[in-house]
Amino acid sequence: MTFLQQIINGIVLGHAYALVAIGWTLLLGVARLVNFGHGQMYMLGAFVSWWAVTKAGVPYGLALPMAMVIGGLFGLVMQRIMLKATFEQNLVSIMIMTLGFGYVLNGGAAMVFGSTGQILETALSTREITLGELWLTWQDAAIVVAAIAVFVSLKWILDASRVGRLVRMVAEDPKLAMLAGINVRWVYYGVFAFEGAAVAFAGGMVAPRTPILTSMGFDEVIMTFVVVVLGGIGSVKGSYVAGVALGLFTALFGALVSPAYTTAAAFLVLIAVLVLRPGGMSAGSAAGVH
Amino acid sequence: MKSKSLQLFVLPVLAIAAFVAPMLLGGGGVVYSAAVLIAIFAVMAYGLDIVVSDLGEVSLAHTVFFAAGSYATALLSTRAGVSSAWLTLAASIAVALACAGLIGLVTLRLREFVFSLVTYAVAVVAMTLAANWAFLGGSDGLRGIPMLDLSLPGLTLTARNDRELWPFAFATLVIVIYLVARFRRSALGAAAIMTHLNPRLATMSGIDPARVRLQVFLFSAPISAVAGWLYAYQRAYVSADVLENYFLILMLTAVVLVGRRQLLGPVAATALVLVQEKFFSFGGNVDKIVLGAVLIAILAFFPEGLAGLARPLARLRHSRREPIQALTHTLEN
Repeated sequence: MTFLQQIINGIVLGHAYALVAIGWTLLLGVARLVNFGHGQMYMLGAFVSWWAVTKAGVPYGLALPMAMVIGGLFGLVMQRIMLKATFEQNLVSIMIMTLGFGYVLNGGAAMVFGSTGQILETALSTREITLGELWLTWQDAAIVVAAIAVFVSLKWILDASRVGRLVRMVAEDPKLAMLAGINVRWVYYGVFAFEGAAVAFAGGMVAPRTPILTSMGFDEVIMTFVVVVLGGIGSVKGSYVAGVALGLFTALFGALVSPAYTTAAAFLVLIAVLVLRPGGMSAGSAAGVH
Repeated sequence: MKSKSLQLFVLPVLAIAAFVAPMLLGGGGVVYSAAVLIAIFAVMAYGLDIVVSDLGEVSLAHTVFFAAGSYATALLSTRAGVSSAWLTLAASIAVALACAGLIGLVTLRLREFVFSLVTYAVAVVAMTLAANWAFLGGSDGLRGIPMLDLSLPGLTLTARNDRELWPFAFATLVIVIYLVARFRRSALGAAAIMTHLNPRLATMSGIDPARVRLQVFLFSAPISAVAGWLYAYQRAYVSADVLENYFLILMLTAVVLVGRRQLLGPVAATALVLVQEKFFSFGGNVDKIVLGAVLIAILAFFPEGLAGLARPLARLRHSRREPIQALTHTLEN
């Protein structure tokens, strides 16, 4: 495989990481919440898409919105149960609860979808684009396009729309926003529904690239940590750049060093970033979303 | 004074009752196996308990210390032919201290969710290492761990099965509970609570929060590692599944279910969970859902744990007595 091919793989992988992480970026930026169930929600999105396409015979284009609805609903349920802790900013409880939700999802998915690995094939993933020696599937191209579309529209909504203004206000000072008559509760619900729907969408988009397993979220969540921390907490543009950078890094590391230890390598990047710029990472300085 | 004499009397009675409980419950192999696992997992949970309850940080890397104990024991006894469990115990503690020191130094300046995020990442990376690295047995794990042998010169102490392992597991649990109680009364324990509840006051009192955090972390890691050491002997093999999320969720449930900073909370909670899984199981996947849901429900609806449920009852009893006390009080004056 040529170097250029690895760059293409890295760009695709990077857009996939960015797409998976976008919900968390918003969640952390707006509500200062962390979601350790993120990886399992990604797994849920992948399984729902697989089930809809192969078992229910739904076209792939409809399976994705189905996965998003289920992911969004799950996010709403999570936020409903954690609402009190969210207002109290009781991070210890929230973190442990999200771990619990992830664990419930893990058991639930194994029960409903079975614990064997599955393969999702779509019309896009079976056809290839070739450019001389280089190739990628149409699914890969779709991931890149979808990630760019999601990031551009989210950035536009945050910067230029009325909803975006409300969300930014809640992110900066929830108490002041409440005084100004903003229904902070609905913003929190909205952010968590977005988190669930976005990561389920990412699961459905990325699923055709890898085997679908109930354990797939466990590793994946590390990549999301790296993207969110590397990009700067709450930064939409930063997450995109960090995602693509991480994709290139893991593609080259996997090709040149060892594919089994890419997670470990990504983790070392995370540690390096944290040690180099520790000041920017505390909860207090996660001021706002942009 | 009264509560202290009560403790002196109640705790030994409780301990004796717990020790003979497996025998009274029929003494079957299944019962002893459950009892041993409860003791082991409770020890594992006490390691996390002092970090979550006293320090107020959520470490998600304690499965790594548990695994460190298991792997150190398995490697020494299967590859190096070490038969004395004292040596593997020392090695387990040393490896856990090394891991905790490394993680502690890297995360020294990190707090709250960033700390948890990094410790979670450590657990995931440890899992991929354990599953891929041939030195650690890879995905097959390490098999053929000999029986527990704690013999001293002139005294044979071995355990071939769960029934024989029970006294050792029970003794370990009692020692760990004693250590945790001592910790809570120590200067370090007080410093940890102060750093947790009022970091500014702690700093003003001359406490260095980063130092306290590192010390508590270093104290907690060997406790979970000792559980891993026993677990290796109990199962006779070790593989990457000692790093599974199950142990993390079990530990967290053990810490919060009964109530934080309740000395016997983790062991009571572990017993509840294990009894459900071993004797009233709904199948692996449903058990996962039950365990996760219990963890969520406790934190969302009963943040003080099951002990918090008992409090309103106690208050009810109290308030009924109070008017009379108040009356006698005024009469006396």
